[in-house]
Amino acid sequence: MGESIASVVARERTNGADFALIGHQETWRAAADVLAVLRGPAYPPLPDEEIKDILPWIPPRAVCHVDLGSIAGAKARGLYIDSFIPPDRLEPAYMRENLARVRGAAAYAIKVGAKIVSLGGFSSILIEGNFDQLPERHDTTFTTGNTLTVALIVQGINKMCALEGRNLRKSTVLIVGATGDVGSGCARCLAPAVSRVLLTARNVERLRKLAAELEADGARVELATGCQPFSEGADIVICAASLASPSLLLGRIAPDAIVCDAGYPKNLSSSAEMPGAKIFFGGLGQVNGGMTFTPDFHGILNRHPFPDVVQGCLLEGMALALEGRFEPFSQGRGFITPERVEEMGTIAARHGICLAPLYNSDGPVEEKTSC
Amino acid sequence: MEPVINLESSLSAECTSHALNAPIWRDVLAQAMTGELVAAMNYTALSEICDHPAEVADALEHAEGEQGHAAAFAAEGRRIGVNVANNIDAKYWKRLREAFMRCIADRDFIGCLIVQEIMLESFAVASYARVGKVAPGSLGKTFAAIAEEEEGHVEHAMAILKTERALDAPRFDDKVHRLHLEVMTTLAEMLTKECKHGHCEVCHDNCVKPSLPEVNLTPAELRGASLQQYLKTLDMLGLPGEVTLAWVSQLPV
Repeated sequence: MGESIASVVARERTNGADFALIGHQETWRAAADVLAVLRGPAYPPLPDEEIKDILPWIPPRAVCHVDLGSIAGAKARGLYIDSFIPPDRLEPAYMRENLARVRGAAAYAIKVGAKIVSLGGFSSILIEGNFDQLPERHDTTFTTGNTLTVALIVQGINKMCALEGRNLRKSTVLIVGATGDVGSGCARCLAPAVSRVLLTARNVERLRKLAAELEADGARVELATGCQPFSEGADIVICAASLASPSLLLGRIAPDAIVCDAGYPKNLSSSAEMPGAKIFFGGLGQVNGGMTFTPDFHGILNRHPFPDVVQGCLLEGMALALEGRFEPFSQGRGFITPERVEEMGTIAARHGICLAPLYNSDGPVEEKTSC
Repeated sequence: MEPVINLESSLSAECTSHALNAPIWRDVLAQAMTGELVAAMNYTALSEICDHPAEVADALEHAEGEQGHAAAFAAEGRRIGVNVANNIDAKYWKRLREAFMRCIADRDFIGCLIVQEIMLESFAVASYARVGKVAPGSLGKTFAAIAEEEEGHVEHAMAILKTERALDAPRFDDKVHRLHLEVMTTLAEMLTKECKHGHCEVCHDNCVKPSLPEVNLTPAELRGASLQQYLKTLDMLGLPGEVTLAWVSQLPV
């Protein structure tokens, strides 16, 4: 254990928490690493089968403290709260149980007096349409973090186009999961900047509504609910929802399409099915003003090939905390506008939170750069 | 405190269908009965170091209640045709009792409450509740009802302990940690999925743990539920969750 009880208690009493981040581990390996840090170096790692027995019983709670710095000089102090959703229970069958876990994590954040709470990964997806399911709160604000996620996806698309020498204005963009909060936000941001937008999602009514909105602003839009082909293949793809298989993109994308995997969990990789595609993981940002975990969870809570990379949804709460704006910037579904995305991107950049270097499952797509 | 089960009620064989699993329930009941007797002894000892008459009365009432629980478990054994033994000198229970008695020797009223009400009762509440869900008929109802009563004990202690913690949180938390290392380590060894240190001296024959799945229980579930209850209780007391999680993650498996 990295800190004495006295110092932890003193820290809680004197400072409270500017922000809290709610997340969970995506794999059993990650969960094992978290427990190994908590156990400390004096204890041998727990056997895998013990971890699978123990983890589902752990109530949501803080795992570590996060100290955050801004390039503008501001500082914020927060907590990472794990909902301890077991990695093998991310399917819809566990929706009720997982919502209860996220609610528990939210209650924990409220109890410790966090001023703003960001919901990470699956927690954000669970809650974006269920904000009324969060516990009653007094001085704690919640944000899904989706606006900054959209900002980082759009920045990533622009950067990848520049790296690949593509002209965004002449491109056809396919958005998978287009009616979700992130997907619809990306559609609104990119529709005015591209030649054509292809939208796909399961809910046809929501798709039609979004298409009508984009067309009213002058965009050329096609939509599909299933695997049927569009009139032309996409040069750029944003997967705002996880794809069961890359084969679902076949026949719909150009062989050398730029593919942004912004789903959760990220599961696209170059494969025999799309060997020429330029894939990158989207919606990730990097903290350039300093970020420390106590105990030291660097590389464990943020398992990326570059340092201080965090999911955009979590970064939104961190950026707002540095800005001193404890407000529900992103809530509900379908309210993300280009203006809000620009505003959030500006807030984040002011504090040195910017697009992470691009990478995919094979490693970096580019050399490290800073904003 | 009223016993949850009226011992005068009919003890006629409720259901002979328990017969197949009776040896398993006998051992489950034996652990529960032993725990209740240890708790009764602990509360009786506690009454002897209380300063105020109201505290003395409270402790004695709790002791009586725990005896009632032990009697109720014994009655459930008779109902399914088994004789439920107990062994308060069994190795783990003896260690738990000794830890409590060290607090008594120090006249450490708060330490006693932490051991009995926070640690041992967390174990009792969670494990009885799990057994209550799967045990048939009267047996299940008795476990569930006693789990509820034990939860009342935790709530009773909570107000006293919260007040104590408010006076000096770091000192209080250090005390909890010291007792955790002693008591929860012993409980965790009791709750391991397999008994690695020989017979527990409570089970009638072989260790009951491998047979628990036959009555829809697992050792992992009983351990998980107990530690979850313990963590939640410490949360209610106000201890930092990241600290208590580290404590629990270091317990033997």
